[in-house]
Amino acid sequence: MMKTGFQRVARLVHHKALPRNPHLLPRLHQASAFGSSTDSLVARFCPEKTDLKDYAIPNASWCPDMLSLYQEFLEKTKSGRWIKLPSFKSNREHIQGLKLPSGLAAASDKQDWRIFTRCIQLEGQGYEYVIFFHPSEKKSVCLFQPGPYLEGAPGFAHGGSLAAMMDETFSKTAYLAGEGLFTLSLNIRFKNLIPVGSLAVLDTQVEKIENQKLYMSCIAQSRDKQTVYAKCSGVFLQLQLEEEPSQ
Amino acid sequence: MLRSCAARLRTLVAAPARRPGPVWRLFSSEKVVHKDYGLPNPSWSKDLRLLFDQFMKKCEDGSWKRLSSYRQNPTRVLKDFQTRFVDPRFMKEEQMSKAQQFTRSFEEGLGFEYVMFYNKVERRMVCLFQSGLHLQGVPGYVHGGAIATIIDVTTGMCAYAEGVAMTANLNIDYKKPIPLCSVVVVNCQISNTEGRKLFVSCSIQSVDEKTLYTEATALFVKLDPDKRLT
Repeated sequence: MMKTGFQRVARLVHHKALPRNPHLLPRLHQASAFGSSTDSLVARFCPEKTDLKDYAIPNASWCPDMLSLYQEFLEKTKSGRWIKLPSFKSNREHIQGLKLPSGLAAASDKQDWRIFTRCIQLEGQGYEYVIFFHPSEKKSVCLFQPGPYLEGAPGFAHGGSLAAMMDETFSKTAYLAGEGLFTLSLNIRFKNLIPVGSLAVLDTQVEKIENQKLYMSCIAQSRDKQTVYAKCSGVFLQLQLEEEPSQ
Repeated sequence: MLRSCAARLRTLVAAPARRPGPVWRLFSSEKVVHKDYGLPNPSWSKDLRLLFDQFMKKCEDGSWKRLSSYRQNPTRVLKDFQTRFVDPRFMKEEQMSKAQQFTRSFEEGLGFEYVMFYNKVERRMVCLFQSGLHLQGVPGYVHGGAIATIIDVTTGMCAYAEGVAMTANLNIDYKKPIPLCSVVVVNCQISNTEGRKLFVSCSIQSVDEKTLYTEATALFVKLDPDKRLT
């Protein structure tokens, strides 16, 4: 049976039996057949000291709902069960010291990359969001406030922008829960429109990890859960990043 | 004048699915001083320009039409939409003036560079799309969400030609990652209609058609002229 382009590469990488990462932290929990545990992935993803700007922090454009829910979750991070994920300008900054396997790594001399969901830097105009991750239950919550640049139907966020926010939440959740890297599929059912400038809460859950794939579900609703904006299921491909050769 | 526009919109949506005409005139022939983004600019690669020229040739016999693309919706269209479909509680004057098409909110070359061509007879929308550095996901590749956006926009325009419609479902199968800054062809077509439902199929391929990057299906629902959205 023909395998897709993605999966073919993933199998090649897997069978090369890449050496275990020598920098793994103690007290590991093997989440999957892949090398890194969620703990070590999170530790690397959330550097304690960094000069990089974190875009996932409150600013003047955040509506009161978003601010208060953010505070609630921040309280929950004190117990260590929830983690606030930083959000840098580019995914390259999130995976410093790591690179894609050689079949996929694209050499580039360009500098001005930006992750799509941080493309509009004007406060409040584009994607305002923050993701909280729960490592042991492999779930996350994204607080999302779409700005006027994300408009589709006048006064409401367009479907593509919610799809993008769901894909991004899946992406970070999949990576930390099991080195999920590439989107394989997204299936979104839109129910109601999100008014521009209001808060949408995206609850994401990893349902299972099987055959190098992470299966996730997400529901986007209003804070009081009275309005469901959309439901989505997504599948991501596991692919282990390689260490950059040390200089 | 507003009331007559609203009345015109009402009859458009109420009419059975017929070939696009009035809806397009509403959007395309509005006298605006704004820039048309669906035309070549210095950030367009050679590939994109060549494709653009090929499709412009196809427009010569009238079977294809290039779509103009503006950063902001004409105010009259906005007001009509809100009057008919939106609960007054949700109408915010100041937000209407700030809003702009997301896909046209980037500096030249950094975001979505694209132009759409429509074939009425085939009910087909083709989007020539070049991704910029600010659409990145996995380093070196286009973000899955940016791909979802261009699919939603293109399938949406394809559905819109048949009447004001909203996305109900979007199913995307990502086959191969799209390299950042490359040019791809997004090809959408109405595959079926059932009452107010519009089924649109979509594929994203390389310029030489040798690589299939993405496949998608979308379901749009035409708005019920008697119901509010909120």
